[in-house]
Amino acid sequence: MAGTRLLELTGVSMAFGGLNVIDELDLHVDEGEILSVIGPNGAGKTTLFNLVTGVYEPTGGDIVFAGESIKGLEPHKITQRGIARTFQTLRLFLNMSVRENVMAAAYGHTKAGVFRSMLRTPGQRREEREIRASAEQRLAFFGERLTGYRWDQPAYSLSYANRRRLEIARATATNPRLLLLDEPAAGMNPKETQEITELIGKLRTEGGFTILVIEHDMHVVEGISDRVVALDHGVKIAEGSFEQVATDARVVEAYLGTGAAERK
Amino acid sequence: MDTFIQLTLNGLTLGSVYALIALGYSLVYGILKLLNFAHGDVFMVGSFIGFGALQLLGGSTDPIVPVWLLLILITLAAMAGCAVLGVAIERFAYRPLRDAPRIAPLISALGVSFFLAYSVQLMFGSQQRDYDAFSLDGGVLFLTGFNIGNVRVPLLRIVIILSAFVLMVLLWLLVTKTRTGKAMRATSYDREAAAMMGIDIDKVIVFAFVLGSALAGAAGVMFALRAPTAATIGFIAGLKGFTAAVIGGIGSIPGAMAGGLILGFAEAFTQGYISTRWSDLFVFVILIAFMLLRPQGLFGKADIKKV
Amino acid sequence: MTDPNEQQGPRIGKDEWVARHGDNRARRAGIAGTIEERLRGVPWWAWLALFTGAVCLLPLGVDSGYARRIAFDTVIYMLLALGLNVVVGWGGLLDLGYVAFFGVGAYTYAFLSSDKFDLHLPAILTIPLACAVGGAIGLLVGLPSRRLVGDYLAIVTLFFFQIFLTVTNNGENLFGTDVTGGPNGIINVDPLGLFGRELPVSTDGVFNVSYLYVALAAFVVVYVALRFADQSRTGRAWRSLREDPLAAELMGMPVSWLKLMAFAFGAAVAALAGTLVTALNASVFPQSFEFPLLITIYTMVILGGAGSQAGVVIGAILISVLLEVLREPGDARFLFYTLGLLGLFAAFRFSVRLAVVLGGTISFGLIAHAVAGRVNDLWTAGTESGGSRLGAWAAHWVIVPTDLASWVTPVSYIGLVALTLLLTLLHGWSRMALLVPTLYLAAFVWENVMLVKPEPTRFVILGALLVAVMVARPEGILGEKRVEIV
Repeated sequence: MAGTRLLELTGVSMAFGGLNVIDELDLHVDEGEILSVIGPNGAGKTTLFNLVTGVYEPTGGDIVFAGESIKGLEPHKITQRGIARTFQTLRLFLNMSVRENVMAAAYGHTKAGVFRSMLRTPGQRREEREIRASAEQRLAFFGERLTGYRWDQPAYSLSYANRRRLEIARATATNPRLLLLDEPAAGMNPKETQEITELIGKLRTEGGFTILVIEHDMHVVEGISDRVVALDHGVKIAEGSFEQVATDARVVEAYLGTGAAERK
Repeated sequence: MDTFIQLTLNGLTLGSVYALIALGYSLVYGILKLLNFAHGDVFMVGSFIGFGALQLLGGSTDPIVPVWLLLILITLAAMAGCAVLGVAIERFAYRPLRDAPRIAPLISALGVSFFLAYSVQLMFGSQQRDYDAFSLDGGVLFLTGFNIGNVRVPLLRIVIILSAFVLMVLLWLLVTKTRTGKAMRATSYDREAAAMMGIDIDKVIVFAFVLGSALAGAAGVMFALRAPTAATIGFIAGLKGFTAAVIGGIGSIPGAMAGGLILGFAEAFTQGYISTRWSDLFVFVILIAFMLLRPQGLFGKADIKKV
Repeated sequence: MTDPNEQQGPRIGKDEWVARHGDNRARRAGIAGTIEERLRGVPWWAWLALFTGAVCLLPLGVDSGYARRIAFDTVIYMLLALGLNVVVGWGGLLDLGYVAFFGVGAYTYAFLSSDKFDLHLPAILTIPLACAVGGAIGLLVGLPSRRLVGDYLAIVTLFFFQIFLTVTNNGENLFGTDVTGGPNGIINVDPLGLFGRELPVSTDGVFNVSYLYVALAAFVVVYVALRFADQSRTGRAWRSLREDPLAAELMGMPVSWLKLMAFAFGAAVAALAGTLVTALNASVFPQSFEFPLLITIYTMVILGGAGSQAGVVIGAILISVLLEVLREPGDARFLFYTLGLLGLFAAFRFSVRLAVVLGGTISFGLIAHAVAGRVNDLWTAGTESGGSRLGAWAAHWVIVPTDLASWVTPVSYIGLVALTLLLTLLHGWSRMALLVPTLYLAAFVWENVMLVKPEPTRFVILGALLVAVMVARPEGILGEKRVEIV
């Protein structure tokens, strides 16, 4: 299992007008690993996520997931194949309840059609019960933070940290093989950051997900990553273990400027 | 050959009117991304204001001023009245919904359109109003003119086509050469950024409505000089004006002009060569084809969105 | 509020305390609050059963065929509103061609059950067929939505509407054959028939009440089916789509397909309504499917609350009743004054301000009336009494000249609109001060302008209502008040 490439980007480029936001990027994620993507703002990290999830179609190169090319597929099809994500700026279904947010994401792997729903066939009702139970299970994964009484409350009533957790819960409800987390620790205090770090580890060990993370907080990156990739201006500038990348001269320069690299 | 010339002339006249209406759509859509459904009814109101002004100035049989002055005055009256109307519509029906989901101002626009059409019908009845331009000064507008082959080109048509052209040129100058015009274009690219640069968004939007509505008012007068007007013409006129704007590329000013002319010609030629009953249908099918195959129109740019 | 059984305080935070102490929803004080809470607890099907029962009992209490016909029309409106709710409320799409689907259903039924093509299929076939045709055409028309932004779809649907109108109006000469009968439509359409037995449209010229029951049954079936759909995974997907289409798409929901489905289902419901109306009328004419009908249904949906089935049904009933009342000048006058008073009460409650405005308006009017009468007798002599007490009283208060100079109508009307708009900009005392002459002018315009011409009046009111609801309370009566956090 380890060593099989779940996601592979080869020579991927993304151009907006004349601007190359991503330039001939080669990147891979092995099954079962946690890969972190770091880089200064504007490096193209979220664009990378958008490419992988099908929001954008790459202007060059190919993206292969589980052995099949997903380039040009519609986003919901890509999600159904097993890639799910969270968003840098949260995008929850705010007016729906916590439980409903998670249940909604089960759409891609459930099949009760409209007509069967209108007739409330036994099959449809059973599937509804399963979706509900499954959603509650997923929420329970997050322990006390998203416990029972919260499930009926509208998503907008949750605290910021809980919203981030809900978004992750919702993403897992699509039954993905690969989870893309876009800055999961953004805006969190040290205690919450610690919890998120543990959570991501738990997602891999207990949830069995392969995880690709964009993160700025180096403590989190250090705590979770098997490998780290650093991007700058759409180009990969370093790859390896956290220690290797963190001390790489180009990475230091990208974050802190040329003077810092020299002073090192 | 004569039919061809006649139809071309028809297309040009029709197209000029459509272009003026289309410009109003484009101006507003460019800034607000709003399809102002009420625009066609503003056009209709313009024709009624022109009619009222005409009556005030003595009517077509006994005007108290010479013909050329009469035409200018009623056009100005229509433009001014429609500008006020446009500002009022923006202020009360669209501005409160500026941050609402896209569908909200559209529905409001529908309501305004409906309200305008039936308000006019309530006040003035549903029968047609005829400017009776033929009676003006013994028919000078029709009797003077020149010939292309066997086809007569009366003065009225020349006046309409030329005035529409002049108005369009004025608008183009306003938009490209003045500061407010620049502000308008900036706002149409990125409203928030424009606001942050110190541009008064409200003023710019009002300006766009003033210009667009005034043009629609002028178009109303030009239309009514040649055909009777009624309270219900706004709907179809708006539809066609919108078609023209989309064909040319909504948000683009040269596009609106081009689209108007294209639509005018398309309608004139289908009416002449195919049939009057089906010409509308033909036009609609053209539009749908455009929207499916080239939604950005002739001059518009394909939308690049960064998520 | 300390619970003596509680051993420790909340451990996790305020949220848990809130949950422990029940749904601490904001509720109104006193009896109103308690009633509201109780009402909220009633399940939806109980309301539906209650409502259906009430309508079923209606013909027992009301004998007139006319009233029953109105009830039938209202049920049709309710059906149409339900269908539009799926498209606009659940799918978030602006379908401006909705009425064309109503027409498609009507014409399909007429094609299948009349002498036109000599087909006389039983209703059990024609109705589902018409729905299927409506849904299929809905799918076709909705297909462009995949590639177009919302406003563009609105235009495509509008053009579809125009195409429908053109084809039906000119269809008596379609490549040489008479397909739709043109402006004369199709007549002698069969009534609803089942296994060879026909349901007569009227007995002795009186509207056959069975049609009301059939329509009601259709309404209940559609309501329940749609409610079930809304509670299913499709309904969840529609809700997600409304919240955030991009997130929905990325959570595996095929947004374009879902929108298309909403579009098609709305069309199918409209087609269903079309069949019932055609069967009852035994005919179909293109003039029945005009733009005013579209605006009427939209007003029903928006007023009732897009997204809420119960809401749009209420909206349909309210508007339908309103339109009926506006037909009769006497009733319309009564409606005006009643609504005016209710409006004032709602705005000012029982307060000094209410007394000031009400008293001020009445005295203002009496004085104006007296002065006008003094100046010229004919200025106040114009009321046709019509026998009602209200009319007689109003005659002393509102100025109704025998002859209206032609400039009075537009000036007073435009003045009223301008004053009303101005009122929205003012506050406090200046608003109250302006309210008095505005109210009086409104009464004047109502009596002299609007009552005289009921047809444009009803549409003017609908248009104004649509704008007013969108601006003041976009969620309508029962729609969900949405929280949008940017």
